[in-house]
Amino acid sequence: MKGLLIKDFKLLKNQKNFFIILIAIATGMSAYMEDVSFIIGYLTFICSLFTLSSISYDEFDNGYAFLFSLPITRKGYVLEKYSFGLIIGIISWLFATTIAIITGLMKDSIILKDILIIALLELLVLVILLSVMLPFQLKFGGEKGRIAIICAVGIVFVIAFVVVKIAGFFNIDLIKIFNNLPVIRMDMLIAIITVITILLLLLSLKTSVYIINKKEF
Amino acid sequence: MLKIKHLRKNYGNFSLDCSLEIAPGCVTGLIGQNGAGKSTTFKAILGLISIDDGTASIFGKNIQEFSAKDKQDLGIVLSDSGFSGYLTVNDIIPILDNLYENFDKAFFMEQLQKFQLPFKKKIKEFSTGMKAKLKVIIAVSHNAKLLILDEPTSGLDVIARDELLEILRDFMEKDEERSILVSSHISSDLETLCDDIYMIHNGKIIMHEDTDVLLSDYGLLKIDTEQYKNLDKQYILCYKKESYGYSCLTNQKQYYMENYPGIAVEKGNIDEVITMMARGTQCIN
Repeated sequence: MKGLLIKDFKLLKNQKNFFIILIAIATGMSAYMEDVSFIIGYLTFICSLFTLSSISYDEFDNGYAFLFSLPITRKGYVLEKYSFGLIIGIISWLFATTIAIITGLMKDSIILKDILIIALLELLVLVILLSVMLPFQLKFGGEKGRIAIICAVGIVFVIAFVVVKIAGFFNIDLIKIFNNLPVIRMDMLIAIITVITILLLLLSLKTSVYIINKKEF
Repeated sequence: MLKIKHLRKNYGNFSLDCSLEIAPGCVTGLIGQNGAGKSTTFKAILGLISIDDGTASIFGKNIQEFSAKDKQDLGIVLSDSGFSGYLTVNDIIPILDNLYENFDKAFFMEQLQKFQLPFKKKIKEFSTGMKAKLKVIIAVSHNAKLLILDEPTSGLDVIARDELLEILRDFMEKDEERSILVSSHISSDLETLCDDIYMIHNGKIIMHEDTDVLLSDYGLLKIDTEQYKNLDKQYILCYKKESYGYSCLTNQKQYYMENYPGIAVEKGNIDEVITMMARGTQCIN
């Protein structure tokens, strides 16, 4: 696993110029934007995409065949990909949060507690994104994977749209229902979302292992 | 070392049914035309594709139960796959060092220097020969017990090929228990390197013979129609119609040289044998 991680970081090195530009943009934006918390989501999201590109590198030129003849297992490979995604995600998240806090404090525009809560939620969003994107990428590969993700998001929107339409047809006011949901405390809500996120991550891992076990190279 | 028995894999219009065995200390060659099933066999052995039927075991262990630790003892070269071209040799060293418990870094570096492979250049910018050498050096640098090499010499010039075969000979000399399974379509590689040779055609093993026997006992008879009619076909493996009559492949060339002094008997070489076995009509004795 350590060997694979080294490989992915070495491959990441190829994109260091992109990284520098990314960080420059993020720092620049945080200096001018009112809402400094935005860059946490932005940086974390973009960096998590590097995990997907590392899969594209592996897949390129039939590279999988050789990778899986090395002393690793298919399950080990999947675990490494998730670890890699979490490692670069968390590093960029820490970095972005630090920038957000520093610029926030300098501008005196935001309460520290708010930034931290947003940052925490962004971290959960990162895990959710990885959990959703990785199985798609492993199943469909670089090019098709992107299309598959776009389609999946599209389908979710269509479903949401249909639900809203049907609700409208039966004269159900969805907004009213949401507003009448029992109000729970913020910390409780975060705890619930955290648990759901972890469950999603585990489910995603299991799916990915299943997908990769089925593959032939 | 490696034993496969009626390994089957079906792909639409191609079906593989392969049995072979590699003894400790042996270099075994697998020859066949493009698309004969060489790579499919290799992929099945390595667990890269699922198999429909049959068994395959390495070091006495079924390949389905093969763990990451077991793979430490294998050195692999695949013809169409390798480390990402975006990595450099310098990048690969720590990767191998962490993947293989017995990775011999000093030996690896020494070999790279010997073959003048650049450390800082991306692999995708390497020439075909450099890529091929790198693959083989990677395979022999972690004290493997068995090398599985799919077309390691394909696309190489004569000098690069000799250098590569030299690496393999050195590998074999270091430990008598080591074995190699190598596929190629270049017969001279196999004639000089292999102890025995399997020939695969249309997914089936059609011949297995020691290289020495192949070179000493096999021969090609070139005869006209009349001679063909009178020929004792006991030791004829297959024949092919030619403009001058028939050419026949035998595995007892001495017999025909002694009993039919008038017949032209050519010394067998692997190329002739491949062509005859693949294109000729089989004799049923």
